[in-house]
Amino acid sequence: MRRPLVRAWMLVAPVMVFLAVTFLFPLLEIFVLSVSGTNHWADAYVEFFTTDFYNIILLRTFGIAFFVTVFCLLLAYPLAYVIVRVGGGLGFGLLLIVAMSFWTSFLVRIFAWLVILGNRGPVVGVLEWFAPGDAPEVLFTRFSVVIGLVHGMIPFMVMAIYASMRKIDPNNLRAAASLGATPLQGFRHVFLPLSLPGVVNGCTLVFIICAGFYVTPVLLGGAQDQMIAGLIGQQIEELLEWEAASAMAMVLLFAILVLYALYNRFVGLDKLWG
Amino acid sequence: MKSLIVIAVCVGAFIAAPLFIVVPMSFSNAPSFQFPPPGYWLGYYEQYFTDYHWTIPTANSFIIATATMLLTMALVVPAAFGLARNRFFGRSLVNYLIMAPLMVPHIVVALAYYLFFGPLHLTGTHLGVILAHTCLSVPVAFLIVTATLKGFDRNLERAAMSLGAGPMATFFYVTLPVLRPGFLVGALFAFLHSFDETTVAIFIAGGTAATLPRKMFEAIRLESDPVIAVVSTLLLGLVLAGTVISVFVRQRNEKKATMYAD
Repeated sequence: MRRPLVRAWMLVAPVMVFLAVTFLFPLLEIFVLSVSGTNHWADAYVEFFTTDFYNIILLRTFGIAFFVTVFCLLLAYPLAYVIVRVGGGLGFGLLLIVAMSFWTSFLVRIFAWLVILGNRGPVVGVLEWFAPGDAPEVLFTRFSVVIGLVHGMIPFMVMAIYASMRKIDPNNLRAAASLGATPLQGFRHVFLPLSLPGVVNGCTLVFIICAGFYVTPVLLGGAQDQMIAGLIGQQIEELLEWEAASAMAMVLLFAILVLYALYNRFVGLDKLWG
Repeated sequence: MKSLIVIAVCVGAFIAAPLFIVVPMSFSNAPSFQFPPPGYWLGYYEQYFTDYHWTIPTANSFIIATATMLLTMALVVPAAFGLARNRFFGRSLVNYLIMAPLMVPHIVVALAYYLFFGPLHLTGTHLGVILAHTCLSVPVAFLIVTATLKGFDRNLERAAMSLGAGPMATFFYVTLPVLRPGFLVGALFAFLHSFDETTVAIFIAGGTAATLPRKMFEAIRLESDPVIAVVSTLLLGLVLAGTVISVFVRQRNEKKATMYAD
């Protein structure tokens, strides 16, 4: 072997060994556990895919992740647009708010929603005022899970869209306008297509993070709103069903790796964290 | 455009308002979560700073995040040099492996560590959490360190060597000082990634190694402990200070850059 090659491997070796021992091996271990049923190797998977209760949770996970992604996109796109196109003090202020939310612990934000939506919080207070005695429950519902996740994920979406919008040269829009495009046409045919890579990035990130998210659904949802991560957690903490938990983890991991593979095929994985 | 600005401001308010609701909550004297607070006092601040149920997890978080940061950088910096400056067979595979911990959901990682650490008696120990957090911080720090390396002009090193500096002198007098800001940012991200990490900590950081996020999770789920409002306010204050400082530093650097340009 050539000398520089040896040196390169020596530099890379520590992190490779570290990740092989403390990351790949534990993952391999749960994979093996998931395919070591007593009667048949795939017992745990068969059980998972033939039990309605589990199927509903799996579908719910992707359903909630989908809606959260759509809501995040609808809210984040205009925000990023104003940050980039209006700019100035307003744009800077909005960008600071997004950055602050991004760096604030999920637990702090979840706690805030617990207070806001809770039985002794402002939302229920207002509802009580309109309908004394039979105000609907807001906390521990699908609504509180979705709003908590949207609030948690929106900084990722804004950052992704902002990053691609910022690269758009305003001269493109001026050129479109000078050729007779109305502002709306300029947006539709020039700005929107150029901002799409950021939209794809943001949606991929938000969907993937949401689908495997543990803390928010567990703290803000009721029994009817649990997602697959919460289910895995429950198998670990309460039921001690390692085999079932491992199979569920593998299903989740597989679904997410498929999404990454699709993204890699059409966009290129190196662009996701760019 | 006017209506767009209104929408954007509303979304901004949706993002910001919930963050700041924790501040009045922290001064509340209610024994549970209640807004608006019925009265104000500082009792929960005193409890946070004196109750060992809160002080120990806070100290643990700082210890674990610092160790994670050091271990992460020790692994990432050589690897980033090796990958950025050499083309070799298996290079992209190495790249994928380093990025892999970012792609696997934390709950899957948590389960894997729970089962892996159990027989090794690493569950509920500082070392276990540090190893787990290092895994998760490696890709984040790697992205930043690699980006820094890509922007480095190797002619600076060649110039130093041509003037008679040996490889060590070149590294410590030329390469490192130029790259230091990027490395510090990478280290900061590794620290924060560990300090903030919740899901894995919930499952493996029990007992004496409990971290602050784990304690906060329990305070919300099991106890409805109002001290959580104090912790939230303090964390929010840190984020606010960090944001202001980073804006200040960036403006100062830009001023410097324009000065040199003139």
